[in-house]
Amino acid sequence: MTARSPAVALAAAGAIASLAAGCSPIDRGPRFRPAGNTAPRDGGTLRFSVIEQVRTLDPTTGYDEMTNLATHLLFDTLVDFAPGGLEIMPRLAARWTVSDDGLVYRFELRPGAAFSDGTPITAAHAGYGLERALATPDSPSAEYLADLAGARDVIARKATACAGITTDGDRTLVLTLVRRNPALLSILTMSFATPQRPEHVAAAGDQLRRRPDATGPFELVSWDEGTRLVLRRNPHYYDPARVHLDAIVMLENVPRDTQFQMFERGELDTAEKLAAPDYLFVMSEPAWQPYIHRLVGMNAFGSRMNVTRKPFDDRRVRQALNYALDKRHTARLLNATTVPAHGILPPGMLGRDAELAPYPHDVARARALLAEAGYPGGLDVDYVTTSDEETQKVAGSLQSDLAAAGVRVQIVVMSWATWQTAVGQPGGPAFSFTSWSADFPDPVNFLDPRFHARSIKAADSTNDSFYTNPEVDALLDAARAELDQARRAALYRRVERILYDDAPWIWDYHRMTTEVVQPYVHYAPHAIWTRDYSSAWLDVGLDGAPVPR
Amino acid sequence: MSRARARFVANRGAVLGAVLVIGLLGIALLAPVLSENNPLASDVEHGLSELGAPLPPSRDAVLGTDQLGRDVWARVVTGTRTSLSIAAIATLIALVIGVSIGLVAGYAGGAVDSALMRLVDLVLAFPLLLLAILLAALFREAELSSSNAPVFLTLGAVGWTTMARVVRGKALVLARSEMITAARALGAGPARILVRHFLPNVAGVVIVVAALVFAQNLLAESVLSYLGLGPAPPSPTWGHMLYEGRAYYRTAPHLVLAPGIAIVIAVVAFHLVGEGLRDAFDAREARSAGAR
Repeated sequence: MTARSPAVALAAAGAIASLAAGCSPIDRGPRFRPAGNTAPRDGGTLRFSVIEQVRTLDPTTGYDEMTNLATHLLFDTLVDFAPGGLEIMPRLAARWTVSDDGLVYRFELRPGAAFSDGTPITAAHAGYGLERALATPDSPSAEYLADLAGARDVIARKATACAGITTDGDRTLVLTLVRRNPALLSILTMSFATPQRPEHVAAAGDQLRRRPDATGPFELVSWDEGTRLVLRRNPHYYDPARVHLDAIVMLENVPRDTQFQMFERGELDTAEKLAAPDYLFVMSEPAWQPYIHRLVGMNAFGSRMNVTRKPFDDRRVRQALNYALDKRHTARLLNATTVPAHGILPPGMLGRDAELAPYPHDVARARALLAEAGYPGGLDVDYVTTSDEETQKVAGSLQSDLAAAGVRVQIVVMSWATWQTAVGQPGGPAFSFTSWSADFPDPVNFLDPRFHARSIKAADSTNDSFYTNPEVDALLDAARAELDQARRAALYRRVERILYDDAPWIWDYHRMTTEVVQPYVHYAPHAIWTRDYSSAWLDVGLDGAPVPR
Repeated sequence: MSRARARFVANRGAVLGAVLVIGLLGIALLAPVLSENNPLASDVEHGLSELGAPLPPSRDAVLGTDQLGRDVWARVVTGTRTSLSIAAIATLIALVIGVSIGLVAGYAGGAVDSALMRLVDLVLAFPLLLLAILLAALFREAELSSSNAPVFLTLGAVGWTTMARVVRGKALVLARSEMITAARALGAGPARILVRHFLPNVAGVVIVVAALVFAQNLLAESVLSYLGLGPAPPSPTWGHMLYEGRAYYRTAPHLVLAPGIAIVIAVVAFHLVGEGLRDAFDAREARSAGAR
């Protein structure tokens, strides 16, 4: 390399960069258009990618987001959420009844329901699936079924069969509870609750995680772990009209920017969790707008305060911080993919009080409340956040917002694991970033773990505000025993109001997921399962190829 | 010297380079005055669109804002200071090492010369950037990572070889000159001869090589910063700005263009000055040894 050449090379590179950036490309919108089919077209392969990898195809032990995307296609459950999200609909069970006391559930299996090899599914298979969830060591879902009679003994290995799981003939599964659980049907929509065959589990042995015994719309073709998972239509699925695709290919470990490049080249049919630059590009391009789907996730983000520690033991301080935060700032930093929060329950969740408006940004009010609480000169606090780029951005914005109200925030950054351990201890950081993602979409999975006195522990406390309020506890317990969903919702709305005023968190936002699809993909994300492609179809030409725009 | 100056002034490229260099130095010195906006402050309220997108150039921010709502002009200006000071220190280090080794090798000759030149060959045998990446990573492991020291130490440590070769060539000729024989005969010791007789005679070629090494260091610093081995964030550098902005090239091209053009201008300016000086001094050694 001569001394002259770097300058020349750089000048050339600069010129190319200016050309590339200056001239707008010929076509910035989608490369394809819908072919114009009016009725769902059968056939074709849908290709998508995920940023991490699928851990297992064993429905009992899989629980993370990537794994759920695969298991949800492979395994059907007795009941499921209707596309809108809150309604429970029949799936493998044709119908079900609940006894008047709310303790006995009878599920009647659909005729024709079968495993992917054609073997009919019986009530015993459905019961065995639930028993495996209780008996498997480290089962992530055992606790969800703990209200079943005898479940505790199975979890504790004192019994092998669960007394609360019985069958009435080949077609009827009977579940008996020891206490009411209005969230039981929601819990039974999760993939672990799929019917399973003891013979298959025994034969597969430690290969079970690679050999799914499919009960859902798709079955496994191949799995090159960490790279590519290929599914094809289950030939024995009881409801063939629901399935249109021949196959689904799921690529694993694809980084966000690569995903979008592949999507733009037409190598992927959908793209989710776009990196900020790609998201802004898609949002700025009118031609893409009809193909962008947005969905509020089952989550809540904000900052929790330990209400037993100074200065956060004073409700006025906590309210002042809620007034001081400008939620528009967080929204901008997160590219407007948020919904401002007034509490922990996200939009669409049962019991969320839609009339409750989030705390407005009101610096004068914040200062007045602080002065009332005895801090006329403001105060100094430490704020713990995680080393994630996004949480640090949000913390920086919170720091400058609170400074305007006289609250001087010192940011302390911890690794995710350290942060998680630290905030769950009563003596840990008093003020920190917090978030919550529900395992199943029911208020009981939001409010009880985070704000019930029962959830306070000396370590790993999920109620990490250490908030205790007998009225809230009583309302939460009453809601847990209430089977009428409307009355239950009313109880949760009262809890929401109390928590709003008591402000154990700075309520900040709920995160939306955004997905962009090729114009020929007919599909809308499921309110709960998000990327559920089981009923998607491709509006492509007669030759099976997408039609160029 | 005056003939050299006349040749330099007559060289349009050199004059243009000199004007640009003076401009860059002015920007670096006056950085805080030239932009009232804080280069590190993220302004979510005014620096980002409703969607959280960087804003294009406007009256409030002449070069627009970046993905955190920071003023790009303020960052480019502050980056000028960072980049020039790092390149200057690194060049000084390379100059001290290179001149010392070159003079000693040229003066002593023989085995000392061979040993030192093999050392030069050894360093040159590694591709410059790969070696710099390795060293920068090692320096960062040490307790220096919060300052700019890893960057200029790295560049200084890999950048001295050209200087050593050129100075050695000049010194070899000098060592056999009658002037030095006369100085020896008058009883001058090696130290006196090196400082009083060698140094002034290699000054011209040293200045030429230093200008070229400076340009090379500017570029290398940008490359290291682009790779995340430059000065620690959030301190703005052109290379890192280029890295952060590259993903936004379609929606906010100014994030790539501003630092990219700054790098091009600075590197070209110092090259023009270096080449102008070389032609002015007619230092043939610099021309041939400029290769590496």
